Parts: sequence; C-alpha cells; structure tokens
Amino acid sequence: MSDSIVVSELSKWFGPKVAVSEVTIGFGPGVTGLLGPNGAGKTTLMRVIAGLQKPSQGSVTIHGMDPRKDVSIYKDIALVPEDEAVYERLTALQFVELAAKLAKASDPRGRARAALDTVEMLGDADRRVGGFSKGMRQRTKVAAALVSDPDVLLLDEPLNGADPVQRAKLIDLFHELGDQGRTVVVSSHVLSEVERMAERVVAMVDGRLAAVGSVADIRGAMTDVPRQIFIEGKGMRQLASALMATEGVVGVHLERDRLRVAASDARAVSHALPKLALANSVSLSRVEPADESLESVFRYIVEGS
Amino acid sequence: MTLAVHLYKRLMRRGRLIGLLILSSVPAGVIWLSTFEADTDEIAGLYTSILATLGFSYAIAVLILTAATLREERDGGTLPYIYMRPIGRFQMALSSVVAGTAAALTLAVGGWLASAIALLISGNDISIAMPGIILFAAAAVGYAAIFVPLGYLVPRSILVGLGYIIVVESILAFFVTGLAQISIWRISLSIYADFATVWDGQEAGDMLGPVAIGAGGGVVKLTVVLVLGLIALTQALRRRDAI
Repeated sequence: MSDSIVVSELSKWFGPKVAVSEVTIGFGPGVTGLLGPNGAGKTTLMRVIAGLQKPSQGSVTIHGMDPRKDVSIYKDIALVPEDEAVYERLTALQFVELAAKLAKASDPRGRARAALDTVEMLGDADRRVGGFSKGMRQRTKVAAALVSDPDVLLLDEPLNGADPVQRAKLIDLFHELGDQGRTVVVSSHVLSEVERMAERVVAMVDGRLAAVGSVADIRGAMTDVPRQIFIEGKGMRQLASALMATEGVVGVHLERDRLRVAASDARAVSHALPKLALANSVSLSRVEPADESLESVFRYIVEGS
Repeated sequence: MTLAVHLYKRLMRRGRLIGLLILSSVPAGVIWLSTFEADTDEIAGLYTSILATLGFSYAIAVLILTAATLREERDGGTLPYIYMRPIGRFQMALSSVVAGTAAALTLAVGGWLASAIALLISGNDISIAMPGIILFAAAAVGYAAIFVPLGYLVPRSILVGLGYIIVVESILAFFVTGLAQISIWRISLSIYADFATVWDGQEAGDMLGPVAIGAGGGVVKLTVVLVLGLIALTQALRRRDAI
C-alpha cells in the first residue's frame, strides 16, 4: 500500500540549530512509532508534517498534497500536540465541538459526544478542561483529533500523564485506528510504550533518522553489533570454557549463575549449544536473546550514532 | 463565522474587559469633571476637545485587546487547533480581524456610553455625544486592522503598538505631515469632524494637521488600512511558522 505521508530530504533549522536533518521517509496505514530521546527532532518532524512549520529544505506531502499550500488536506489530518495547551475555559464538550465545527463536520455536537465517549470522557463532558488532570487533557485532545474522522493521525507523546489503565486503553484505540487503515504516527520517548503500540518503528537521534523497521528487522540489520544471549542452568563454568572455543562466539561473561554470550553468529551458537551441553554434562534451564527488546536496540542506535 | 465567534469570545474575558472598559472611559471621567459647571455653549466644544485629546487611552485599550486575537493562541499553544483545519488563510485572517474589530467595537460602545453618561450626570444634553460613537467605531476598525496582524507577527506587539500610538501618533505626527496622514486616530477624527457640529476650527486644524475633514475620504483611508492589514495577516499565516 502506498504511503499517505511522504517526507523527502527534509531539513528544518532554527538559526544555527538543526532540528531535523535530511530525513526521507514514508508513513503508510497502520501504527508507526516515532522514537527518540528528548531533543531528537520528533516534535519538529511532526510539526513540519502537520504544516505548522515550513521545511527549511525538502518537502512533505500528505495524500500528494502540500499541507502548507492546500488547506483542504486538513479534512484528513489531525494532530494531538505534545504540550498541555487547551482552551481552559471551555468544557470538554465545547472544546471537542469547536474542533468539529472548525473541521466543518456535520452534527458537531453528536460527533463531539461520540468522540468523548471513545476516549471515555463523556462523563466529564460538561467539566471545564482547565480543571482536568494531565491524563484527562490528553484524552480530550485525542477526542478533538478524532472528531473529524481523520485518515492521518499525528500523536505527539499522547500517553503523557495518562494512568496505566488509560494508557492501555489508548494503546488499544491506536491499534484499532491503525487496523481501520488509518495512518497513525505516535511519538514517544518511552520505549515500552512504542513497543506495545507500533509494528513499525522510526528511530531518530540528533535530528537524523537512525533506523526504520520492526524491532527485529532493525536488530537483524545491526550485523556489526554482536548478539547477546543469556544462558541459565547448572555447570555454567564448564559451558563457558567450551563456548570460548566455539566459532561465532566473541565473548562470554559469567554473571552469577548465568552466562551472557556475545555472538557474531547467533545461529551457529544455537546449533552448537545442545552438543556442548551434552558433551560437558551441563543442564540448561533457559536460553534467550538478551538484546532484542526495543530498549536494547535503541541503546545500540543511540550509542552508535 | 465559527472561528470569528470563538476568537471574539476568547478576547471578551470578563476581567480583561472590565479593565479595558475603564481605560476606554478615561475621557468620560474628564468630561464629567470638566462639564460640571461649564456654560451650555461651552460643553459641546469641551466634549469634542477632551475626546480628541484623550482618545489615545481608547487606542491603548484597543491595542491591548486586539493584539491578543491570535497572539494568545500562538503563545498559549492552541493555534494548531484552529490552524490545522480546512480554513483558507485569507478566511482565517478575515475571521481574526472581524473578531478583533468586534471586540474593539465593544470597547467603543463602552467608552462612548461612558462619555454620554458623564454628560447626563453633569446635567447636559446627551445629543452632544451622538457623533462620538462614530469616532470610536472608526478607530475600532482602523486599529484592529493594524493591531491584529501586529499581534500575530511580533512577540512584543504591545510595546511596538504603544510606540506607534505614543511616539508616532501623539508626537511625531504633529511635526511630520506624512505620518499624520497614516494616523488612525486622525483619520477617525476626520470622519467624526464631518458629523460633530461644534468643534472649534482652529483646534480641529491643530489636531488633524494636514488630514482633511470628510467622512468619505476617511472611510476610504480606513478601507485601505483594512485591506492592507488583511493582506499582511494572510501572507503571514501562509508563509511563517505557526508555532
């Protein structure tokens, strides 16, 4: 399926500071996690995609249109900004209804109520947004984004301040929106959240694209970084000696009752391991990759950049 | 329309409105004090003179109010909620100027009403105040057309606006002919002077300088200011970063 959002050679700088540097990427239907430490350029990239800031260089198109030039595209896009800014004096219903009216949606009141219901805020619809907790504000902002039924959703740190139960519900909602064929781009610096939200990850470091793909794909592409494998069981000392002489093993560390093996060829190690265990009378209770989580992958990316 | 109503309601916060209505009513206070024991013949002249010379307090109130039209959205981080909607940038600029003008007219009605009440309290004929609403209304349109774009474009728009009102309009325009011609207050006074039956010719000349009395010319000038303000704001919304 073709990409809804196409970013080409995009750079954005503010005076001498380069916030986004030569980024080329596409975003298609489904949930994509935009990952990066604070200051990586995630928010700037989102703002430029949303048309709020103009590119210093390069281009952005959404469904083939430039959001800076053709405002009709805003029927199909919505952004949940990172900051807490809301119309504090409006009630949640007024806030979301205003968004519906400005989007020229039919039955704005009905749509606003439905959107608030989606994020479980209907019970607080008549309360002023200014009195809401951060998590409630986030959900109200998500409702304001959903009210126009957008095809492209840009969510900048949407889970900030939400409690664990609401986080889980919002993540389910984002999955549902992605499954409906919408293009959902969610930025976060919380790795576990991105891992749960997105099938595809776009990692940014210092304004540049550091990696794109599924976590396994990205890890698989890091051929210069040895795979880490944890091995637990009895007789780890003997096994460590045996592993040292095995092809594909570049390091073995004994950590209390387990081994951490660094392997340049994980497949070869996994083939050799049962034979080595048998030959050395070692019983294995657990063998698992130690660095295929998003956290490990991201650490490699940041350290390597 | 939705956008204009939203922006207008946002500007009309109670606390701010009360404060600015008081500022707009400064001429009314002076009118009340000055016309207490004045001769009937003098009162109409006094009313006009006070309105003409102290009117900058209304200009300052309008500056504070209208510069906030989009600046508040921008500084408060809420601009994306209106910017990322299928609203043409000219329509957005027009809605903003309409909201700013409506807010300034609200102050105009307040300031004028206060001046009329001042006359009434001091036992004078309220009909003297009738043309005053034209002065306030004309100034509302002109200032809003300048200060709404200024507020969006310049972070310290109040300071820049005060510089315009105090330095350019109140001081420099007395000495530089060209500046008098682009003074919103003088343009508004030139329209007002067409309706005010009692205004000392010498004093009117001093106040207006080279600006000719006449509602038609004044309205044309204000229309030009309005169009230029709209063009500037539309271009700014199209070309500049929104946040």
